[in-house]
Amino acid sequence: MLADLARVLGLWRAQSGWLLAGIVVSVASALLGIALLALAGQGIAAALGGAALSGGVVFLLLRPLVLLRPAARWAERMVTHAATFRALADTRIWFFRRLAERLPAGIGLGRSGDLLGRLVADVDALDGLYLRGLVPVLSALAIVLAGAALLADAPLLAAAVALPLALALLLPLVLAPGAARAATAAAMAQGRLRAAAVDPLLGVEDVLAANGERAAVAALAAEGRALARAQRGLGWRAAWAGALGGLLVQAALLGALAWGLAAGAGGAALAVLGLFLAVAAAETLGLLPRAGIALAGAAAGARRLFELADAPPPVAEPAQPAAEPAGHAIRIEDLHFAWSPDRPPVFRGLDLDIPEGTRLALLGPSGIGKSSLAALLLKLAAPQAGRITLGGVDIADLPAETVRRRIACLTQDARLFDDSIAANLRIAAPLAPEAALWRALDRAGIGEMVRALPEGLETRCGEAGARFSGGQARRLALARVLLSAAPVLVLDEPTAGLDAETERAFLETLEGVTAGRTAILITHRLVGVERPTRVLRLAGGQALPAAG
Amino acid sequence: MSSSSAARDGAARALLRRESRALRRQVLLPILLGLCALVATIAGAWLVARLLAALLGHPGAGWPELAAAAALALLGAGLVLAQERAQLAAGEAARARLRDAAFSRLLDLGPADQTGIGERASLVVDRVEALDGYFARWIPAAALAMLGPVIVCAAVAWADFGSGVVLAIAGLLYPVAMALTGIGAAQASRRQFEALGRLSGRFLDRMRGLPTLVLFNRQEAEAEALGGAAAELRRHTMKVLRVAFLSGTALELLAAAVLATLAWRHRALLGGGGDPTAALFSLLMVPAFFAPLRGFAAAYQDRLHAAGAASALAPLLAEPEAPGLLLEEMPPRVVVTFTDVRLSYDPARPPALDGLSFRASAGETLVLAGPSGAGKSSVLRILMGFARPEAGRVAINAQDAMALRPAELRRLSAYVGQAPHLFRASLRENIRFARPEATPGQVEAAARAAHIMEFAESLPEGLDTLVGEGGWGLSGGQAQRVALARAFLRDAPLVLLDEPTAHLDPGTEALVIDSLQRLCLGRTAIIASHSGARARLGRVLEIEAGRVAGAPRIGAAE
Repeated sequence: MLADLARVLGLWRAQSGWLLAGIVVSVASALLGIALLALAGQGIAAALGGAALSGGVVFLLLRPLVLLRPAARWAERMVTHAATFRALADTRIWFFRRLAERLPAGIGLGRSGDLLGRLVADVDALDGLYLRGLVPVLSALAIVLAGAALLADAPLLAAAVALPLALALLLPLVLAPGAARAATAAAMAQGRLRAAAVDPLLGVEDVLAANGERAAVAALAAEGRALARAQRGLGWRAAWAGALGGLLVQAALLGALAWGLAAGAGGAALAVLGLFLAVAAAETLGLLPRAGIALAGAAAGARRLFELADAPPPVAEPAQPAAEPAGHAIRIEDLHFAWSPDRPPVFRGLDLDIPEGTRLALLGPSGIGKSSLAALLLKLAAPQAGRITLGGVDIADLPAETVRRRIACLTQDARLFDDSIAANLRIAAPLAPEAALWRALDRAGIGEMVRALPEGLETRCGEAGARFSGGQARRLALARVLLSAAPVLVLDEPTAGLDAETERAFLETLEGVTAGRTAILITHRLVGVERPTRVLRLAGGQALPAAG
Repeated sequence: MSSSSAARDGAARALLRRESRALRRQVLLPILLGLCALVATIAGAWLVARLLAALLGHPGAGWPELAAAAALALLGAGLVLAQERAQLAAGEAARARLRDAAFSRLLDLGPADQTGIGERASLVVDRVEALDGYFARWIPAAALAMLGPVIVCAAVAWADFGSGVVLAIAGLLYPVAMALTGIGAAQASRRQFEALGRLSGRFLDRMRGLPTLVLFNRQEAEAEALGGAAAELRRHTMKVLRVAFLSGTALELLAAAVLATLAWRHRALLGGGGDPTAALFSLLMVPAFFAPLRGFAAAYQDRLHAAGAASALAPLLAEPEAPGLLLEEMPPRVVVTFTDVRLSYDPARPPALDGLSFRASAGETLVLAGPSGAGKSSVLRILMGFARPEAGRVAINAQDAMALRPAELRRLSAYVGQAPHLFRASLRENIRFARPEATPGQVEAAARAAHIMEFAESLPEGLDTLVGEGGWGLSGGQAQRVALARAFLRDAPLVLLDEPTAHLDPGTEALVIDSLQRLCLGRTAIIASHSGARARLGRVLEIEAGRVAGAPRIGAAE
C-alpha cells in the first residue's frame, strides 16, 4: 500500500511546486486557526487573572486574525485543489501512454468498460492521497505540536489535551489496512458495474435480438447492489472513523475540564487555554480519521492502475536500436509463432521473401494466421523463433516506431474515431494537405460519397464510424492507409464488407494505388483483377506457392 | 437557448422531486437522527458551560456533570453513526431505482442512439452515482440547516436572549451570503459535467481504437490531445469550486463575526462579574449553530452535481416507453409483406428506403441483393424494430407489424447483424446468450450446426474457451459462426441475416451456406447478401437506391 502511494507521489514530481505550496498554505491556515482561539483563551485567562488591560490588547490583536483566517482557508482550498487536478491530469496521460505501450494490439481479454473506469474513477480516487490524506494529516500534526508547545507549562494538561488529539492522528494508520480492503472491493465493484453497463451497450443489437434487455438490466442491478455493499462497508468504516474522531476531540475537551477541576482555582487560566485549543483543533482533527479511509481508497485505485500499467509490453523495445535500414525488402526466415503456449502454433518454420515493389497476394482460409503475420510484421507480437528482416535489419533490433513508419497496415479491426473525416485520415499523415486527402478518398472509391456530404471532410464519423455503413467505413479506413507515406502496405481483407462491384473497382486500381510500394494483400480469395506479382497460400504454418 | 436550459432545469427538478417523494421514509430517518444528535450536543454544551463556570469560581458543577457530559458525547457519537447509516441506505435505494430505469430506457433506444457508448455508460454509472449525494447528503443537510440553527437559536435565547438575537441575525444573513456567492454556480457545474462526459467518451473511443493509433505512431499526439481535454476539465472544475469555496469563506467570516460580537457582549461577565454560565453556553453554541450550515455548504456541491446529473438523465427517463401491442401467440409460420415502405435516417441524405415493396411467403428464403447503401440492412432493421418507417406498411401475417411493441416484434426473429458482438465470456455462454434457458445439449447442437466444433476442438478448452470482448481470439469467420449458432439456438419462425458470409473464405462459406440452408428450412428467412453463392440460398431480390431494381418510382414526375 505505502509503496504504491510513494510511487504515485513520484509520478507527480512535475507538480511538486503546486503540491508543496498547497501544504504550506494549509499548515499556515491551521496554525492561524489555533492562534486565533489560543489568543481568545489567553484573553479570558488574563481577564480572569485581573489583568484586564492585557485582555484588551489580546482582543485588539484578534481582529486582523479574524479576517485573515477565512482568507487563508479560501487560499488553502484553491491551491490544494488546483494542485490535485494538475497531478491527476498528469496521471491520466501517463496511464494512457503506458497502455499504448502495453496493449498495442487492443485490450485482448480486458473489458473496455473496466479500463475506462480505471482511467476515470481510479485516477480520481488518487485525490485521497493528497487532498484528503497528506494535507489534513500534516495540518493536524502542526496543530498537535503547536498545542503541546503552548501547554508546555503544565505537562499533565498537555498530555490530557494533546494525547487524544495525537491518537486521532494515529487513527488513520490503524484504520487504513481494513479500509484498504474495503476500498479495493469498492473499486473493483465499480469497474464491474461499468463493464456491466458498457458490455450490453457494445452489443446492443445482439442484446435486443436475443430479447436480453431484462437480463442485462438485472445483471447491472446485481452489480449495482454489489457496489452498494462494498461502498456500505467503506462508508460504515468512514462513519466509525468520524464518530471516533469526534469522541477524541470531546475527550480532549473534557480532559482539560477534568484537569481544571482537579487543579482547583489556580489552574483555571491554563485549563481554559487547553479547552480553547481542543475546540480549535476539533475541525481539523475530527476529519482526520476519514483521511485514513481516503488514503486507503487512493491506494486501492493506485494498485489497479499499476496492475495494468506494469504489464510487460508484448514486444520489448531494443536496448540498442540498429541504424535505420536503407531499403525495405522484407525477409522472413524460419518463423515459429503461437499466440500463447496453450494455443496451436500459427507458424512452423515460415520462410518468405518479399523484395521491394512486390505485390504479394497471401491466401488462406480464416484462422490460418494471415492476420498473425501482419501482427508480427508490425511488432505487435514477437515470434518464438526465427526472424523478420526489413531492409536486411532484424526488426527486433529496430524501434517499433521505425517499423510502423515504414509499414502501414489496414487491419481487420481498423477503427474510425468519433472525429471528422479529415482528422481520421490525418492520423496516417498529420500534415497532409486537403488535396492529398481527396486523392486518397478517390483511390479508395469513396471520394464521390464524401463530396456529396453537406459538411464534406468535416463530417463527423461517430464512434467506430457509426454514422456510415460498414462498407463506407471500411473504405474510409482504406483511404487512411493509402494516405500514409509508408513504402510497405499491408492490406488485411481490404474489401471485407464491400459489395462485389465496389470490391472489383478497388482491386482493379490496386496496381496504380500501390505503384512503387510493396503491397501485401491478405485475403481468403482472389477476385481475378488484382494482378499480383506473386501469389502464396498459407497452410500448415508455412507459405506455399498457390496452384493456378 | 436559455428557454431550453430552463426547461431542462425544470425537468431535472421534477425528477429529483419525484424520487424524493418515492423515497420519503428513507430520507426522513437521517433527518430525525440528526436532530436527536443536535439535542445531545446542546445538552452536552450546557454541562460544559456549567463546568467552566465552576472553574471560573462559580461552583455548582463537579465530577457528576463531567461524567454526564462524557455520556452525552458517547450518545451523540452513536446517533451520528446511526444517521450516517440511514443516509447510506437512502442513497443506495435511490441509485438502484434510477439505474434500473435509466438503463432499461438506454437499451430500449438501442442502436438508434448515436451517442458514444462511453458517454451512455457514464449516464448509468457516474451520473447515477452523482445522484447519491443528493439523497444521502443534500436532503438531510438541507433539512438540518433549516431546523438545526432554529433549535440552537432557541436554546441560546432561553439562556441569554441577546445572544439568541445575535445568532438569529447571523442565520438570516446566511442565505444572503449564499445567494451572492452561489450565482452562476449551477451553470458552471453543468458545464463541468459536460466536460467530464466528453473526456470519458474520448478516452473510451481512443482506448478501443488503440491499435489503430499505435500502428500509425499517433499515440503520443493523442496523449497530448487527451492532456488538453483533461486541462479543460480542470478549468471547469476550478470554476465550480471557486464559487463553492467562496460561500464557505462567507460562512466562516460570519461565524468569526458572531464569535467576536458575543465575546464583546459578555466581556464583563467573562471578566469576573456574575454567573458566566449563560455567556459561556452561548459562546460554546456558536460552532453548533454553524455546523448544520457548514454541512449545507458542503452538501451544496452534491446538489449541484446532482442537478447536473439529473438534467442529463431527465430527458432519458422522460422518454415514453415504446408503445405497442403484445404478441398474442408465437405464429408457427410467418409471411412478411412490405408495401411502399419509406425510411430515411438523415434528411440531408437520400432516403434509405424509397417506396420498397416485396413479399416473403411462409417458408421462403428471400435474398436481398444490391450495392452497399441500397437499403438491404434497413429492411432487416425495420423488422427488428431498430428503425420505424415513415410511410408504407410492414405486415406480418397480414397484421401491421409496427403496431407491436419492438421487443415483441423481436421475439419473432433470429437475427445476425453485420457486425455481431461477442461478449467477454466462453464460447458456450456466447451462444447460450440467444436463449439463456437452453439445455447444454441444445447449445452443443447449435454449435455443431454452425460448424463451430471444427475450430472449437483445437482450442485449449473447447466450447469453454474464453473469448475476449468483440471476439478477440477468434478470426472474423469464426466469430461469424458463433453468431450463426445463436440464430440456430434461438429457434424463431423468422430468420433475418445481414451479410452472413461476408468474412468467410470460400471453403468455410460453403460450410456455412450449407448450415444456413438447414437453418432456413421450414422458416421464413430474409438474407441481405452480395456473396456470389447467394443464388444457392433462395429467391434473389435486387434492390437499388431503396427500391426493387427496375420498379417505377412511385409518385415521381418523370
